[in-house]
Amino acid sequence: MLTYIIRRVLYSIPVLVATSFLIFTFVSISGDPLGRLRANPNISQQRFHAIEHSKNLDRPIVVRYGYWVHDAVTNQFGTTLFGQRKIWPDLQRVMGHTLQFVLTAIILSVLIGVAIGVYSALRQYSPFDYATTTISFVGFATPVFWLALMLQVVVVNIFLKWHVRVFYTSGLSSPFPGHGLHWLMDRVQHLALPVIALCILGVAGYSRYMRASMLEVLNSDYVRTARAKGLIERRVVMKHAFRNALIPLITLVALDFGAIFAGAVVTETIFTLDGMGFYFINALQASDPYPVMAWLMVVATMVIAFNLIADILYGVFDPRIRYD
Amino acid sequence: MPEPLLSIRDLVVEFSTEDGIVQAVDGISYDLYPGETLGIVGESGSGKSVSTMSLLGLIPQPPGKVVRGEAFYKGKDILKVSKKELRHIRGNEIALIFQDPMTSLNPVLKIGAQIGEAIKTHHPDEKDDRIKERGIQLLRIVGVPNPDRRYEQYPHEFSGGMRQRAMIAMSIANSPSVLIADEPTTALDVTIQAQILQVLKKAQDETHAATILITHDLGLIAELADRVIVMYAGKIVELGDVHTIFESPRHPYTVGLMDSLPKLNVEEDWLRPIPGQPPSLISRPPGCPFHPRCFLSQGRVRCREEEPPLRPIAGTAHLTACHFAEELEGHTGPLVESVGAGV
Repeated sequence: MLTYIIRRVLYSIPVLVATSFLIFTFVSISGDPLGRLRANPNISQQRFHAIEHSKNLDRPIVVRYGYWVHDAVTNQFGTTLFGQRKIWPDLQRVMGHTLQFVLTAIILSVLIGVAIGVYSALRQYSPFDYATTTISFVGFATPVFWLALMLQVVVVNIFLKWHVRVFYTSGLSSPFPGHGLHWLMDRVQHLALPVIALCILGVAGYSRYMRASMLEVLNSDYVRTARAKGLIERRVVMKHAFRNALIPLITLVALDFGAIFAGAVVTETIFTLDGMGFYFINALQASDPYPVMAWLMVVATMVIAFNLIADILYGVFDPRIRYD
Repeated sequence: MPEPLLSIRDLVVEFSTEDGIVQAVDGISYDLYPGETLGIVGESGSGKSVSTMSLLGLIPQPPGKVVRGEAFYKGKDILKVSKKELRHIRGNEIALIFQDPMTSLNPVLKIGAQIGEAIKTHHPDEKDDRIKERGIQLLRIVGVPNPDRRYEQYPHEFSGGMRQRAMIAMSIANSPSVLIADEPTTALDVTIQAQILQVLKKAQDETHAATILITHDLGLIAELADRVIVMYAGKIVELGDVHTIFESPRHPYTVGLMDSLPKLNVEEDWLRPIPGQPPSLISRPPGCPFHPRCFLSQGRVRCREEEPPLRPIAGTAHLTACHFAEELEGHTGPLVESVGAGV
């Protein structure tokens, strides 16, 4: 197992190198970071070339890639193109914020989704099953931006009508959130809506997936064997069916965990949350290539890492899979 | 004759499908006596598995449903007992061996855990090390080499034959009075089949269980069974002891089954299948279910219109469901020699 992990980590190195090169190339050729300067009539041709030279932007792309890698490794992705703002502290901050609410959302959706999926499968074609199936389809079909806006509308209306502030509709915290429990309460009130929005979509997906997986296992021969042994139904379901039905879900969830680090671009933008997705959109709009590249590298690394974790977990839960 | 151990009367099992209601088992009755091996033969879809699985509530419900019938085991109708009582019977009094050992064992649990669980469920006070001891002993009985090590392994570390041995070990764990083996050798290759046959015999000796052997393999029947039930389209068409059935079959379907076996002593270019297809169990033809494929019927009106009841032949225990069974008088089965050799 350890050899396998080491081997996989070593394999990841060339993958990351190739990824970094692709990221650098594609981001570099996708826009002109000096476009606005170029279009500015107050900046002379000479002055423009001096700036371009000082930022190494007149060099061939491979050379610039070398500079960038050097900067990324020795200087934590360096600074932004203009303003000389350090990238890494910003990334760390937004990653922390994103983790707070996307992690909550994903854990909640897995728990609720699995519970609903298992129960639906056990009571196939019951009113509960039909109801959750319908709600899941609606959840699937709902665009997240609409859902987020509707949640905001509802909360705002409650406030206008009864003057009760249930949840906040934007931002991470109030200007003076206080300390300890007050701070936590304030954070929960701020993050509740985005978490609910993401959860509805997540639960819709996981519950359908779990239901299908559980149904397949419940109809399998070994579940019949377990019943034929005279086991009580609870043990048949929990010990024999549930664990087998979880195996395909584990891969899915582990891969979703990797994608967490990308944040939720739409949700974060609507709720103005200072998270990964919001950061990415802002960097793109500022047409500053370096934060975009740094962001892409972090996300790519996480996706690769969680792919490995998914494979390891797979081996833990399924004894048929052995890595050596 | 001794008191029957298991007594099935007029069992009807239906499955509701999109195309209509399938009568998988259509009013069958039979008895199982202590210590005997009762073979049930028939082609795929003849209801031979469903007729036994439904006794223990192991058919998927819905779509399956026991519509009618009684199944007396030790004086109790097990089709009507509570779930708790049924659980007590399953794996303890009546145990099952399934067809496909590759899929019938849970892939994520150790063999030992699966055998141990079978014991623990019915003997909850038994200590864990005693259970393990018994489990290893069971593996030894069914001929699994290195049972101590094998007990701790997962099913995927077992070969097909070894898995079926483990399956048999699991089924005899609580010394059941009835053992139901549903096509126990079908999924195995021929050399392994012979070994599993020996293991089955050993398991019977060990438990003195009466056995219901469900198979489409007439060779297996000849080898193991004392009495035979031939099923066709959810009905029993012939019932008798194994010698009688093989020596003088009295139902044209049984005759056809035996004729379709390849013969080792005669040079033949072609197999001789029974012409036609089994009838759809949704819209049964009136009359005898076998008449469209029957060589004996020859278009006689009675076969088309009147359903033949299961009746004894000349007052013996040999039953047939054919109007014209007497016309098969003198017809001997092709397996007479091999039966003589095998039994």
